[in-house]
Amino acid sequence: MPYPRLSDILRDHFEGAEFDPDAPALGIGAFEAWDSFAHFNLLLLIEESYDVRFSVEDMSNLKSIAEIRAALATKGIAA
Amino acid sequence: MDVRLTGTSGLLAGSRGWRGLGMQHRLDFGFHADWADALTDPDEHRALVLVVLLDDLGPGEDEALLAALDQRLSHTLPIPTLVAFASADHAPVLAAGRRALPQRAAAQHFERALYDRAATHQALYILPIDELVAELGRARFFDRRNYYAARARLSAAGAGRLAEAIGEMLERTVVPRRKLLVLDCDNTLWGGVIGEDGLEGVRLGEDGIGAAFQDFQRALKRLTATGLLLAIASKNNEADVWHMIDQHRGMVLSRADFVATRIDWADKPTNVKAIADALGLGLDSVAFWDDNPLERAEMRAAFAEIWVPDLPDEVVEWPYLLVHAAPLAGFEVTDEDRAKAAQYQARSAFTEEAAGAVDRMGFLGSIGLRAEAVPIDESTVARAAQLAAKTNQFNLRTIRHSAAALLTIAAEPGTVAFLGALKDRFGDHGIVGLIIIRPSSEDTAEIDTLLLSCRVLGRYLEDWMLAEAVGRLKRQGVRRLRAAYVRTGKNGMMASFLPDHGFQLDETGSFEADCEMISCPGAALYALSPPV
Repeated sequence: MPYPRLSDILRDHFEGAEFDPDAPALGIGAFEAWDSFAHFNLLLLIEESYDVRFSVEDMSNLKSIAEIRAALATKGIAA
Repeated sequence: MDVRLTGTSGLLAGSRGWRGLGMQHRLDFGFHADWADALTDPDEHRALVLVVLLDDLGPGEDEALLAALDQRLSHTLPIPTLVAFASADHAPVLAAGRRALPQRAAAQHFERALYDRAATHQALYILPIDELVAELGRARFFDRRNYYAARARLSAAGAGRLAEAIGEMLERTVVPRRKLLVLDCDNTLWGGVIGEDGLEGVRLGEDGIGAAFQDFQRALKRLTATGLLLAIASKNNEADVWHMIDQHRGMVLSRADFVATRIDWADKPTNVKAIADALGLGLDSVAFWDDNPLERAEMRAAFAEIWVPDLPDEVVEWPYLLVHAAPLAGFEVTDEDRAKAAQYQARSAFTEEAAGAVDRMGFLGSIGLRAEAVPIDESTVARAAQLAAKTNQFNLRTIRHSAAALLTIAAEPGTVAFLGALKDRFGDHGIVGLIIIRPSSEDTAEIDTLLLSCRVLGRYLEDWMLAEAVGRLKRQGVRRLRAAYVRTGKNGMMASFLPDHGFQLDETGSFEADCEMISCPGAALYALSPPV
């Protein structure tokens, strides 16, 4: 099964929020609903969607979509 | 419903696992450190789900939690409070030694304390998570990384499984319980077709698919112990089915487990309706279990009120499905529930035989009717008051006497008052009737109360009670009996009782009869009855 696109995961997770999925600084605090709670859940959802696992450090360090994309790339996933 | 969820550690609020539950209920996650507030908030009108993982609790905190729980239960009955708990995630459970580990002992203590409270608090429900943990595997249910990253011990998958179980539990607290489950036979209670495969050919027993059918029967048997009634509606030759039930060694259920059966070639909706009618149950109390999707579809089309679950083709899934079906597994199980099965069985047997009996009086004469007049005293007054309070249909005047009033009235000089107890071949029905006749002048008395429980209607016990009372009055010198019918919305069946028994309407709208003219033909059924 092909992996879903990261932008689709974002749209699904933050249903109803308005944002540009390609904005370079997109991450925690980009809008009100994207708090640290929602971010943690986003990371869980990404783990599930791409069948990867982040370390404790990853969980606290990956704060933006750009960082997440880079971390996925090190695991061989182009998201 | 509105549900507040909180835990002794984080619950991954907002993660995907909670979505399904969130569609059914309005969820509000408290911050995990706030469990004490959630428990002790007296204005709480939401259902509360508290997830307790015991190794979150420091020394003494378990006692504090129980105390807070007691406080909530004293405030907000009957809003459901669900405590889901697991003994521990990190506790070293694998260390084997001579002494129980302190964590294990604490977990057992806590669990016992919870169940003690659940036994007395109607609104408290307990969900042991350990079972879910075992099902998913500890390593999948919990995720230690999440604890250090977000103070949540659950994994995303664990949260999902927990949400599912909580949803099931909440549903059970509100879904009205089905009282009767009507079952098919072939390929439902056993594998194969008894009429074709014979006793040796059907599959029921130790190995393979036969064991799954047997487990399904075991699950049914356990549900009967909680008060669920079972019946059979099967398209079969009746003798084949009884031969199977009585003779096959793999049968867990026996004849006595079924309160009613319809085994013939009639369509199932007709038969299921007949069973419900015979038992005096509404169709919204009925569930139907049949392996055949066509039968299920026909049942749904005929009666939308009947609960007809979609069944997987694989029988191996049925036992689990059965015991987790909210409409079948209600909560409060009382001794009354268990006794009900016996009473319904007696009623069903009576209704079925009566339907088949052409000569009704002949039928009644053959069932060994026996009545007894039971005095109203300290030991019986509670039952008398209950009958006075609850009987609506066969009740001449619907006077709701209290227990105290009944004792006073029964002791009045000249008053004839007793309870009617009934037995017959279909069972011991216990105390089911009440008659009170009070003196109104020297030689005249008046019926104060005459009522019968609707469970035993059609047996002319009222004739026996009236005749017995009139006999006693005559011995006291009473010559005339007065009575009035007081119409309520529910006692229409009593409208012609007085004229039917020889009473004449007088100009005041009351009825009166000479004691010699009172006619109770049904009383003869009791005089004739052989002892049971």
